[in-house]
This record gives sequence, structure tokens and C-alpha cells, in this order.
Amino acid sequence: MDRRVVITGLGCLSPAGIGAQALADAVRQGTSAVRAPTRFDAAAYPGRAAGEVPDFDPTAGIRKDQSRYIKKNIKVMARDIQLAVAAANLAVLDCGLPLGDFKAKEPVLPTIDHTRFGIIFGTNFIPTELEDLSVPIQAAREDGRFSLKGWGKRGIPEMFPLWLLKFLPNMHACHTSVLWDAQGPNNSLTCSDAGGLLALDECVRILKRGSADRMLAGGAESRVNPITFVRYALLGRMANAGEGPAVAGRPFDLGGTGEVAAEGAACLMIESMDVAEARNARIAGEILGTGASTTTAGVNMCDPDGRAVATAVRAALADAGLEPGDLGVVLAHAAGLAEHDRSEAAGLADALGHAATTIPVISMKGVTGNMGAASGLADLAAALIFLKEGQVPPIVNCDQPDPKVALNLVTGDPQPLTKDLILVTTNAIGGQAAAAVVKMNR
Amino acid sequence: MNRRVVITGIGSVTPLGLTLEETWQNLLAGKSGIGPIRTFDASTFPTTFAAQVPDFDLAPYVNEPDAFKDAWRNVRFAMAAARMAFDDSGLTPGDYDPTRFGIYLGSGEGVIDFRNLVDSIAHGTGEGGRVDVVRFTELGLKRFSAMKELEQEPNMPANHLACEYGLAGPSYSCLTACAASTQATGEAMNLIRTGRADLMLTGGAHSMIHPLGVTGFNLLTAISTEPKDEPWRASRPFDRDRAGFVLGEGATIMIVEELEHAQARGAKILAELVGYGTSADAYRMTDIHPEGRGPAAAMQMALDDAGIGPDQIDYVSAHGTGTQENDRVETITMKVVFGKRAPEVPLSSVKSMIGHLIAAAGATELATCVLAIRDQILPPTINLDTPDPECDLDYVPNAARPAKVEVCLSNSFGFGGQNDSLAVRRFMP
Repeated sequence: MDRRVVITGLGCLSPAGIGAQALADAVRQGTSAVRAPTRFDAAAYPGRAAGEVPDFDPTAGIRKDQSRYIKKNIKVMARDIQLAVAAANLAVLDCGLPLGDFKAKEPVLPTIDHTRFGIIFGTNFIPTELEDLSVPIQAAREDGRFSLKGWGKRGIPEMFPLWLLKFLPNMHACHTSVLWDAQGPNNSLTCSDAGGLLALDECVRILKRGSADRMLAGGAESRVNPITFVRYALLGRMANAGEGPAVAGRPFDLGGTGEVAAEGAACLMIESMDVAEARNARIAGEILGTGASTTTAGVNMCDPDGRAVATAVRAALADAGLEPGDLGVVLAHAAGLAEHDRSEAAGLADALGHAATTIPVISMKGVTGNMGAASGLADLAAALIFLKEGQVPPIVNCDQPDPKVALNLVTGDPQPLTKDLILVTTNAIGGQAAAAVVKMNR
Repeated sequence: MNRRVVITGIGSVTPLGLTLEETWQNLLAGKSGIGPIRTFDASTFPTTFAAQVPDFDLAPYVNEPDAFKDAWRNVRFAMAAARMAFDDSGLTPGDYDPTRFGIYLGSGEGVIDFRNLVDSIAHGTGEGGRVDVVRFTELGLKRFSAMKELEQEPNMPANHLACEYGLAGPSYSCLTACAASTQATGEAMNLIRTGRADLMLTGGAHSMIHPLGVTGFNLLTAISTEPKDEPWRASRPFDRDRAGFVLGEGATIMIVEELEHAQARGAKILAELVGYGTSADAYRMTDIHPEGRGPAAAMQMALDDAGIGPDQIDYVSAHGTGTQENDRVETITMKVVFGKRAPEVPLSSVKSMIGHLIAAAGATELATCVLAIRDQILPPTINLDTPDPECDLDYVPNAARPAKVEVCLSNSFGFGGQNDSLAVRRFMP
């Protein structure tokens, strides 16, 4: 009854570039991809930084009918959604399933049962673009001031009709399901930083209960926009890039001043093992266990003892039937906000117990910034590549490890990877925590 | 591994009542909760009416009322409904291991701080509608409130509930539009079946009744705009003259529990969740596949999951939004699933009375199925004045009807193509 679940395709867009390889290279080389923000004028934030995905083409490599769909709908796809679509495309193209011949009117993936192929994305509610409202707001004025009555009469008619759809958090999974004719289970998990790994967890559970044969597990979010910057600045979560953007995001470091807002999308094709083996798929790894929990200390804080992370990690290990000592490496979430990093560290130390002193722990947020719902999945995709060399690269920008972090942080020099088992965790401040144990295929 | 999942507590706050019983009695009486929008001046909007929850004081329902002063209506509804669900369940903290009690909500986002957003955008707007973001930011940083911003995030209802009740089990928030709380309940059921949790707080909460919410749906022409002077007639599922749904708001929170866990503590069992089906249309952004293939697949999957045949269904709680398209396709879907028997399967839409609670709709409608089973009576579809030849099934028109009700299906088909269906039955040991 317990089906095994494997990873057969990787898709990733991050500030380090397009593709999981680009992120893997940046992590291995220790290069930060964080820069001064360019996607909007951030001059109101002296000394700020952002992790921005470089230009990308969401129609790359796909069929003409799929490209046409994207071009037709791109004006109603917010940035997060375009990132999601591109990441899903990369994952499907990577997994080796043959694409149908469009001219012969074949289904897009002719060798599969489309009713048993689903998609779950971790996402967030997307803020409106300011220029979608600016003219309507002006039109609504009465006697030189904004008027709600005026909005009803003259503002609404100035809005474009599909405005709401551009920003809905379930449109990532909707558009990708149309593009790939994925008629199976389809969900959108709005759990902030934990959404991507929770999507993975739910996809695994769906495969194990036999409701699908393959799922795309994704996470996509862009925090690089004016409204989100205001939100996180007011919440006191944003890093001060006074010494330059590349060194602004400092996971587990005493000099950390907050998190770098970033954007990204990651998507894994996962399949039940028998289905993957039957088609001779290239297997990148196997998901052995997943776990989840949530913060109980407060909605705008982290559990000081990290119990949410500890519970999620314990649950993932139990699900995998493993002990902490079986792990080879931990991919932590830590993005450089002390309360957040310390909470996660306390939870990890608690759950790993004795093994906390020996298992190498890293975070990649010094390279990318905090990509929100893409976190965890992007890290896993990159790790499945760079860990093949048998080394765990040091944490970028962790030069003075926080003594309150009682973990074996990889700083300075790489450490050897002695086992093939990866633990990856994410958690949202005041919210959900998720963990997954993955055996990589070297 | 045959863990059964039962419902042991329900709380609900809707436009028809501040308790589940009040809502239910009003539904059976065919009362409408739709009236002019109270909470902002919508007098010049294309749609001036909605179904709104009556005002209430949150203080009796939460430990620290001050913690909610910046929370939007979705959170307030969720907290009140959850408190009533807990009271209904008889659970006390000693009854469970908190790491085995999780949360899965179909949870709507909070409200955009419209006034401050408008002023900040206006402050930055120059020629041709271009926005100087620096000017926007300068005013925004002064005007926006940190906590009001945080309360917009869709996982806030779940986060507040976790903190209020110390629930440390697996926690999720999903937002698949109109399908969200049906989806949440189905996934919560599965988490218990597979042993990830023994208890789950599930259901949904949402309010999109605010300037940008109404604006968004008006732009899509999805919501009804008439009759302004008799808004209780505006939600007309399956009627020939239907013209869109009517926005509602509210929350329904349920406690779902593993059967032996419930029996060991002597819990009152309200009903058993027996099946869940989920699929995607994979067709268009909002249009439904004309043959209803996705909804039919979800319903069939729920039946298969429950191990029952379509002939065992006594009542279907429709998605029944009252748009021309949904109701026509939903009728087709019923015929696909029930075949020749379709005209004998009662299918009603409480959205005709309570409006469309969006993320909270599914759980609210499932609760009506639980009560239909308890009271052996079907809630009506009101405003069914003129039959539509393409909608030719038994929609329980205009008056509640006593009936034998043992097993129900509750359907939710969301914008974006997610389709979810739950099968619920009278609990039989």
C-alpha cells in the first residue's frame, strides 16, 4: 500500500538564473545573486537589496499551441504566475516525457493518462500592480479628492475586466494545468515561506493514496514589488544593505539585519516509483518522508524554542522511518532575520539531538534572498545537483556564526557529504513549518 | 489501515445567523440573507447588495480580543466559528495530543487597505497614469499599518487559530477560490485516514465584500446586479433569468476526528465523512468545460472513495452559483454521474439564500448536508420562478422538503478549474 515517490524533473527560476543548474553553480561557487532592486524604483529604501530573477521567456521549449496560450494570457498573469508557469515548463521538459506532435493534433503528453496528472503550487496572494489602479483612481475624484461614489461611477469602468484574475493565488496552478492538460488533483497552498514544501508534502500524500500517478509540486512568489516591500519594511523584516546588496542576506550570521526580499519559482515533477521505472525515467531522488506543523507562539513571531520546526522535522523523519543520524545534510530556511533563524536553529537542534553537532547545515538564502513560497523546493532542486560532487558548500555571508545557533554550520570550507539523505525545512514567521527527507540519486 | 473520519463539532457564522442553528432554521424557512451592502458605500457600484454577516462582538469568542483589532472579517468569523465548533465538540485540552491536532482551512485573504492604497497611489501618480514608486512608497510607509498588512495574508486565519488553541499538528491553508473549503475538508479527512493526525480543525472563512472585492467580480460580470430594490431575488440558481452569483461572507469551522479517538472520549458524532474527489478542468481560466468533465470526475471519485454507488445518494448540495454557465453545466454533470436517475436526485443551492461565501462556501454547504441528515429535510433553492429548459432536474424549488436523507454529496467547482466533491453520511457504528 505504501507507494514510493521519486523526483523525475527539476525546474527552477531564481536570482541566480534560469534552471536548477544556475542556482547549483552559484551555491557551489559561493556567489551571491542579490543586487540593488531594479524591478521598481526603490530609492525610498536607502541601502536595500533584492533577489531578482533575470529576464526569462515562459514560452521557451514548449509547443506552439502552448506558447500561443501564454502569449494570449500573459497580460493577466502577474509576475508570480509567469514564474510559476516557466518553472513548471522546465520541470516537465526535464522529466523526459515525450511531447506530442502539435501538427498531428496529439495530446500534449501523449504517453500519459492526463486524468492522473495533477499540480499543487505553494503561492501567496499577489499585490496589485500600482499602474493597474492609477488611472481609475484619478477618474474617481470628485472635488479634487478621491470619492468612493466616484470610484463606483467612473473608476471601475477604467479598470481592465480581468484584473482580479491577474492576482489570484490559484492561477499558477490553473494556467499550468491548462498548458499541460493536468486534470488530476489541483491545489494552491497559501502558506507563505512554507507553501512550497507543503505542496510537495501534499503531492506525495496524493500519490501514496493512489489519486494520481504524477504531480508537479511547485512554489512561486515574487516579493519584489512596491506593496510587499512596504509590508515587510513596516514589519521590520527587511535587511539593511548598507554594506552592499551582495552581503545583505546573512543566514545564521551575527551581522544579519533581516531578510532580503526576493522572487523565484521551483517545480519538481514527482511520480510514483513504479510509474517512473516503467517508462525508464531518470530519477533524481526519492522522497522518503514529509512532515508539517505550525507556530503557536504568536502570529507575528516565531516559537522561541523552534517547536514548530522540531515537530515538522520529527514527523518527516518518522514518516521516512529514519533517525537524525541517518542524514547527510540539512538545507535550512534561515534568511538572516535573527529571530527567524534562531527559532529554526533551536528546532533543528532539538529534533536532531546528538546528531546536531555532526550533520552539516547550510542555507542558500545568502545567494538568493528569501523567495517566499519557492523556498525549500528551489533549495532541494539545486542541492540534488551540487551535492553530486560529494561536498556541502559553505553558507554564503555566514562569516560570524551566531553562537546561539547550536548546529554544525558549514562556514569557511566545504564539508564532505557522507550520506545521501537530505533534510530540507522551511517555516513562515507566525505560520506553518514543513520538512522533507529526500534520498538523492548519485 | 481503515481509519474512519467523523465530524464531532461545527460552528458557523453566516449572513443568515451567528450560530449554525440560526442559519439552518433560516435556510429551511427560505429566508434570504441578501440586502444592501452595509459596510461601505456601494451605492454607485454596479452591484449594491450582498449577503453580510450581522455585526457581533468578538470578545466572548477569543482569549485576547486586542490581538484582533487589525484583523479583517475573515479572521473574526473564523475565530467565532471555531469557538462554537469547540464548544459543540466538548473537547477540552486534556483530550488530545496537540501535535496530533492539525488545521486545514480553505482560507480567504484579508482586505487590502483600500483608502491608504488609493491615497498612496494617487500621491505618486503623474502624467498618463504613470506611478512614481518613490512617492508611493514615501506615503505608504507613513500610512499603512504593519499588522493590517500582515492580516492580509491568506494563512492568517489558520495562524490565529493555531495560536489560540495551541494546535501543533500539520497545518495548511489553501485558496482554490470557490472550492477551497471543500478541498480543505477532503484533505483534512485524508490526513486523519493516513494517520498524520487524529483531529483536524477544518472548513473555511472569507469576506470579499469590500471595494476592491466587489470591483473585481463586477469587472468579470460574475455577480448579479439586479434587482437593486429587491436584492433577495438576485440569487436565482437554476432559474431561467439567473444573472450571476451574489457575494456572501462568513466562516464554517468543523472538527473532524478519527472515529476511535472520538468514541474513546464519548464524543457526540454528527456525521461521517466517507469520500472525497478532486480534479481540475485544465480548460480555461474561468469557463467550465462544457461537458462538465472535471466536476463529473470529482463526483465519481468521491463516490468511488466512499465505496458507494450513485444510487445511494439522497441529496446533492449543488455548487449552484446562479451563473448561466455553471448551472447549465452542473445539470449536465448530474446527468453524467447519475444517468437516468438524475431527475430523482434532489439538488439544491443554498447560495440562493446565503449568497456565495467563496472560500467558506464549501464547508458551509457541507454543514447543511450534516443537518439535512440529522433533520431528514432538504433546504430549498429559492427564487426558482421560471424553469430553464436546460435545467430540468429537481432543485427542491422554493420550499424545504422532508425526505429520507442518509448520504449526501457536497460539490464545489472553483474559478480556476478546481473541482471538489465530498460524500457525507449518517454515522452508523
